[in-house]
Amino acid sequence: MSNRGFFGVIVAAIILMVISSSIYVVTEYERAVVLRFGRLVQMDVEPGLHFKLPVADKVRKFDGRLLTADMRPESFFTVENKRLIVDSFIKWRIKNVENYYKATGGDERVAAERLASRVADGLRNHFGRRTMHEVVSGRRDELMEELTHSLNLVTEDLLGLEVVDIRVKRIDLPTDVSDSVYARMAADREKEAREYRSKGQEQAEVIRADADRQRAVLEANAYRDAERIRGDGDAKAAAIFAAAYSQDPEFYAFVRSLTAYSNTFKGREDLLVVDPDSDFFRYLKDASGKK
Amino acid sequence: MAWNEPGGNDKDPWGGGRGKNDGPPDLDEAFKKLQDKLNGLFGGRSGGKGGGSGSAPRGNPWPLFSIIAVVAVVIYLAAGFYTVDAKERAVVLQFGAFKEIKEEGLSWNAPLVTQVFKVNVTEESQYPSRALMLTLDESIVELPITVQYNVQDVRDYVLNVRDPEISLRHAADSALRHVVGSTALNQVLSEGRQKIAEEVKLRIQAYLDDYGTGILVRDVNIQEGRPPEEVRAAFDDVIKAKEDEERLKNQAQAYSNEVIPQARGRAQRMLEESEAYRAEVIARAEGESDRFERLMAEYHLQPAVTRERLYIETMERVMGNASKVMVDVQGGNNMLYLPLDRLVQSENRPAQQSYQQSQSVVREAPRALEQTPTTSIRREIR
Repeated sequence: MSNRGFFGVIVAAIILMVISSSIYVVTEYERAVVLRFGRLVQMDVEPGLHFKLPVADKVRKFDGRLLTADMRPESFFTVENKRLIVDSFIKWRIKNVENYYKATGGDERVAAERLASRVADGLRNHFGRRTMHEVVSGRRDELMEELTHSLNLVTEDLLGLEVVDIRVKRIDLPTDVSDSVYARMAADREKEAREYRSKGQEQAEVIRADADRQRAVLEANAYRDAERIRGDGDAKAAAIFAAAYSQDPEFYAFVRSLTAYSNTFKGREDLLVVDPDSDFFRYLKDASGKK
Repeated sequence: MAWNEPGGNDKDPWGGGRGKNDGPPDLDEAFKKLQDKLNGLFGGRSGGKGGGSGSAPRGNPWPLFSIIAVVAVVIYLAAGFYTVDAKERAVVLQFGAFKEIKEEGLSWNAPLVTQVFKVNVTEESQYPSRALMLTLDESIVELPITVQYNVQDVRDYVLNVRDPEISLRHAADSALRHVVGSTALNQVLSEGRQKIAEEVKLRIQAYLDDYGTGILVRDVNIQEGRPPEEVRAAFDDVIKAKEDEERLKNQAQAYSNEVIPQARGRAQRMLEESEAYRAEVIARAEGESDRFERLMAEYHLQPAVTRERLYIETMERVMGNASKVMVDVQGGNNMLYLPLDRLVQSENRPAQQSYQQSQSVVREAPRALEQTPTTSIRREIR
């Protein structure tokens, strides 16, 4: 009784082992091939639960998701012989599992390496035909599309995979070139700075000159008007004088002369050398005033 | 079976771990039963040693199997439960094939045959990056960027791409450099930032959709672009130059603001002065002519007397003020020496002294007028 039970357990275990080695699961994101004694018998198994012959069949499963091959930064020369350091990546996925298995033995790294060397060649060709300006600026899309397209023509047959995208992550200049770029940038800035400063000086000069002009014009105009007014005053005064003095010019000359005399000899330092015979001194020698 | 006896805790084969016999007795009971059943399963060889408590029926293992089966089923069923958080979604694969997406809450899936991938979908993740890159005009700029994203399509996220996050990083780096490479340095540094962010966002999303990552880019923030360390001084100098420009202009403006009002003031002064002059001249003329006319009216009444009076009064004033040397030319000798320099000097001395001197110097000397220029010449020579 107990021996039978023990045997039953063993049989159950063997049955379990056979079953477990004859079923396999392919998940949604996997691609799988079945090999019977090393020969491919089933390509691209659907996701789900499947059965196989134990021992004879072997299942190889590969990652069917989109994979990234991150390439090492490499130097490329542009058409004008400028060296650029380019860091790129490739997005790819298995397209034809049979070809993929045959070409790479299902080793992802082998596939990525083969792909990388092809991409590097392609990039080298494309860079060599373009100027640095084209490579750096907006022509990248074109370049990448072309390269992806041309690679896809061969990779499905040769490697069983599809290149979804190739992108350049970084395009850098080598250190020595960077230094000269920095020098140029600094010179650019200097140019700009000088322009600002001299523009400032220019405008300052304009403002100053304008101010000086306004000052000169203001003062000259004022001088002109002032002289005009003075002249007007002089003229009016002259008219007044003339009107008054023309009434008795002789008497005017007399009065005016007297005023002039008294104005002229005002100071004590004035020294008069006088002749006692003058009219003023006529009584000095003679009380009757006769000569 | 002595270890179940009350107070026998020091005989506990599990050591002192259970403490003071406070374990629930029914658990012990169940354990004991299980032990017995196991004994029964393996031929009941230890049954005799089991003592009185061994109650399992011997020779019939089926109830035992059924209990094991029940326990196994319970464990299996229990293992299938899992919770999905409010911020998560779960992708369920059954036998490897996609089955369903579970929303938040308690869920059950058959263990072993199903795989469950839980993904946080609401939480916004960030990818910050900063690096030097080339611009359109082949300059180098440092542009820090932050990409905010979350998972939109869980199925794509789990099944389509290995390492979707790395794909996002690559896409972000590539897109940023692409856009910056198509933009001139000055734009990158100044007003072009918003545009760059927009373009980068569109590009990243396009790449990610192309790859089928199921990631949605929420926002791309671009911080202030900075020139590289090596040229920062030059860039700062441009800013300083702009300030200098403003300063120079302001200084000139200040000069202008100072000079023009002053000139206006001076001009006004000139005008006012001339007006004053005109008024003065006219008033004086009027005054003088008026005075003259009044005098003249009197003069015409008595011309001779008035004339004489005017003359003498004026001469008196003139003579009274000035120093005098009286020379009688007709009666004197031919040579007359007038020490004019000394006379003039003495005028500068105190008044009474000079008065005496001037009195004493009255001398008769002919040709005094001819002598005078000589003296003045001598003074000039000296």
